[in-house]
Amino acid sequence: MKVPLRIPLLLAVLSVFILIFAVPPLRAADNLIKIGALLPISGPGSYFGVQDKQGVELALDGLKTGVNGYKFDVHYEDSACSPLPATQAAKRLLDQYQPDVVIGEECSDATLAVMPLMDQAKIPLLNAGSSSIKITDPGNPWTFRIMPNEVMQGVDLATNAYKRLNARTAVLLHENTNAGIGNAKVFADTFEKLGGKILEDIGFGRDVNDFTAIATRIAGLGSVDVIPTYTLEGQGLKITEALMQAGIVKGGGGKAIQLGAIWLPFGFEQKAGKAAIGYIRIVQFDPTDRRPLVHDFIQGFKAKFNGDPTHLNAHAYDQIMLIADVVKRGAKDAASIRDGLTATKDFAAVTGSVEFDKSNQNIKMDTVHYMETKPDLSWESLKWN
Amino acid sequence: MSDFSPIEASSRAAATTFITSRRLWFLVVVIAIGLLPLIFSSSYWRTNLIVCAINVLLAIGLDFVLGYAGQLNIGQSAFYGIGAYASTLLVMKLALPFWLAFALGVLISAIAGALLSLFAVRLRGHYLAIASLGFAVITYQILLNWISLTQGPLGIYAIAPPPAITLPWLPPIVFTNLANLFYLTAGFAVLVYFILDQLVRSPIGEALTAIREDELSAVSLGIDGPKWKTFAFAVSSAVAGAAGCFYASFVGTLVPDAFFITESFSILAMVIVGGMGTLIGPVFGAILLTMLPELLRGLGDLRLIVYGASVTLVVLFMPGGLVRARRLVARRAFRAGAKPEGHR
Amino acid sequence: MLTVVLQQGINGIVVGSLYVLVALGLTLIYGVLVQINFAHADIVTSGAFAAYFVAHLLSGNYFAGIVAALIVGGLLGYLINAGIFAPLRERGGELLPLIATIGVSIMLQNAMLLLFGPIPYAFDTPYSNKVIRFGSLFFTTQSLLIILVSGATIALLYAFLKFTFLGKALRAVSQDRETAALMGINPNILIMLTFIIASALAGMSGALLGPVLVLTPFAGTSVIVKAFAIVIIGGFGNVEGTIIAGLIVGLIESYTTQFLDPGLIDIVVFALLLVMLAVRPTGLIAEKRAENV
Repeated sequence: MKVPLRIPLLLAVLSVFILIFAVPPLRAADNLIKIGALLPISGPGSYFGVQDKQGVELALDGLKTGVNGYKFDVHYEDSACSPLPATQAAKRLLDQYQPDVVIGEECSDATLAVMPLMDQAKIPLLNAGSSSIKITDPGNPWTFRIMPNEVMQGVDLATNAYKRLNARTAVLLHENTNAGIGNAKVFADTFEKLGGKILEDIGFGRDVNDFTAIATRIAGLGSVDVIPTYTLEGQGLKITEALMQAGIVKGGGGKAIQLGAIWLPFGFEQKAGKAAIGYIRIVQFDPTDRRPLVHDFIQGFKAKFNGDPTHLNAHAYDQIMLIADVVKRGAKDAASIRDGLTATKDFAAVTGSVEFDKSNQNIKMDTVHYMETKPDLSWESLKWN
Repeated sequence: MSDFSPIEASSRAAATTFITSRRLWFLVVVIAIGLLPLIFSSSYWRTNLIVCAINVLLAIGLDFVLGYAGQLNIGQSAFYGIGAYASTLLVMKLALPFWLAFALGVLISAIAGALLSLFAVRLRGHYLAIASLGFAVITYQILLNWISLTQGPLGIYAIAPPPAITLPWLPPIVFTNLANLFYLTAGFAVLVYFILDQLVRSPIGEALTAIREDELSAVSLGIDGPKWKTFAFAVSSAVAGAAGCFYASFVGTLVPDAFFITESFSILAMVIVGGMGTLIGPVFGAILLTMLPELLRGLGDLRLIVYGASVTLVVLFMPGGLVRARRLVARRAFRAGAKPEGHR
Repeated sequence: MLTVVLQQGINGIVVGSLYVLVALGLTLIYGVLVQINFAHADIVTSGAFAAYFVAHLLSGNYFAGIVAALIVGGLLGYLINAGIFAPLRERGGELLPLIATIGVSIMLQNAMLLLFGPIPYAFDTPYSNKVIRFGSLFFTTQSLLIILVSGATIALLYAFLKFTFLGKALRAVSQDRETAALMGINPNILIMLTFIIASALAGMSGALLGPVLVLTPFAGTSVIVKAFAIVIIGGFGNVEGTIIAGLIVGLIESYTTQFLDPGLIDIVVFALLLVMLAVRPTGLIAEKRAENV
């Protein structure tokens, strides 16, 4: 069949489009630190990207006059929380924008997929969202993570549950994702090694809306001391409500304490109501933290965005501020930024302090804050770290 | 230019020279493929070219069963995923050589496709569509939940690209070089296109078309419906499985989410937009719908809305797809002039 | 143990009613049009957002929100029919409208993403947190509301189809469009009406389900494929079948969660679907439809 001429013409037009819509020509690299942001902006992952962007914008506001004579520029590419789109976005970023440093991604699979690219291009990647241990173990010399990984959190949480809360039985609840499964496993291993018993390990898909059946199953197990829950705020809310309705957790008249890790933002209590009473969890960002740095951050965020900041906003803010600090210490390009990051000692971030170990993991445990929800729905910092 | 003019037909029959228009187009395509990575030399665009080649494979595979055999298969993502996981696991767990694992991966996908067809042999239209969708959902859930086998959401990482090929007198062709990987995938796509094209022009193709148009009559003519439908499914899934193998060794990372059912819809859209049942149409559909989201990145938040709108608009206004649009317009103009009275 | 089994039974019926509400509209449309509207679940989500904004930001009245959702749903139905199904009807074929509605689904989801953002909304109603208990069994008043409204809607729909002129005309069109046309019924107007009713129903379901779903623009994708499965298991175009199938799927979900693993729910449901298709493709309650053999 003869192909109409129209088709090759269309492809030629498309090629012209490529040139028009490509990233605008790069400005001279003098006195400009280019920060690439590889974040999920489309699809359900945009939950992260939207909030990260807010944190970045807030940080940039404070850096308008530059640091050490260098100004900062940020360019976003949509990595969609998944390996192939993340790879494509990363390549586009590296080829066309040529950043000095990249922040991202949020989802562990996507981060793991782009790490080799950054390594090859010799551009430092600063991550604050993926908990998989593989990112820093084995990791690579160009990837840095400022948030505590699943091992740091899980071991600490399980130990505290066993020792401070005297928990001996646990039911694990987690979303069936890399982060959910990974975190649950670390808790289980540590808890069992201490002598505790995992009654059940319940994983659920991201498309589950109704958790009454799961709550019923847990209720049927009899007495449970703690329920470590690893999921995002949407499903987290439904779980907490269901656990209350089934009378399992303290908020519903039961005894069990829900434990959590970093995924639930401040404001969760207001949505969950009294179902959240007694919830103890690790948070990355403690809004009751008394440091002036944190206070200023909260005020600045409220003024700009008319709401309370979440840990996602805080992480993104910290990433930019850490880069600014490295520049203040004399870095000006990819290699020196990498070296500057490696040398970071006790950097004061909104989420805690930053100091990287040999595998480029931030080992400061003051990034692991424990909070408990009080009966008036406020947070009390437990000061366990 | 119509295919019906007697003068054209006879002159074409007479011109059985070596240089036919089809062979000329074939040469053009090969040259174009050779030049593309040289024109688009950045890592980013070469990556996109490889994704295009993989999508072309997926699209022509689907068109074979959908456009030619008329079977409403919207479960293509399942075979894509089976091929990717099968070949990768064979290499990683059984240490099989890459190309053997590739062949086995393709075979396993083909068998899966044949099984689906045998199961669904009596189903038609929407029923078949939903059965294939159900099969795709089950496959995805198995990939996701059978963690001891597939690693599930934890993912498989550091998947090696195809091993270097050493030909005599030449330096080894290494596939960490994106241009070489593109030549490999695009070359394979051209090969598959050629094979499918031959199949379609053969008596097998006629049997499939007969089944598509009117299965009962075809059976009455002695065509074995179930056998050829199964054949079409097997071929189509084999091609999808091959695409999966390339996907895995190209991206280097394998997660079940890459084979969610929305992937089936993307492939389907490529076939429809390009022109179902033409084999060349899906090639253009695949190229267009792969490049469009990348080109639209400049639009930021509006990107996917424009993408969705484009698909809808093409279906509404060019239902035969890009390659048939002109003919359709001509036919409509003809019909508008000669519409019989009282016919709605 | 008995308590658990009973409670899971209740849970199953509640979840089942949720699916039935979504699937009913699909079945109605299919019955008359023999077409699948892939954007259906996104109409449900749009209804949920409409209800949320009217109930929370404008008047504070939940029922006003439900009405708003009805209107938004109906409007979307009108637009989709006028824009897609009507123009494509002459060309026949099952595939083109399906693809076109996939495009619409993508557009709707991303439009909602632009308008409302990806962060889940907590849609509270006066009913969503009150729990009714007898003994150790429980369910929320929102679930009760869902069941009651589904029941009432189904009863009304039934009455409409069986006893009113329009309803009979609709059934005529679904059985044989050409003959119905010969009888003086305008099939296009009727199809339009069906679409509006089914989509308004979808919108209203959104208002009821908003408090129960994780409310993001992507909420539709979490239910649409199961809704299709239910429509097929019950028999395309068959209202009673859809209801029974929906309840069965709900029960499968809760019992699979209890005795197996929540991750296996989809496998069990779709395995059932495939078995049904192999054994009894016309659905639980066989519809006497002339199959285009």
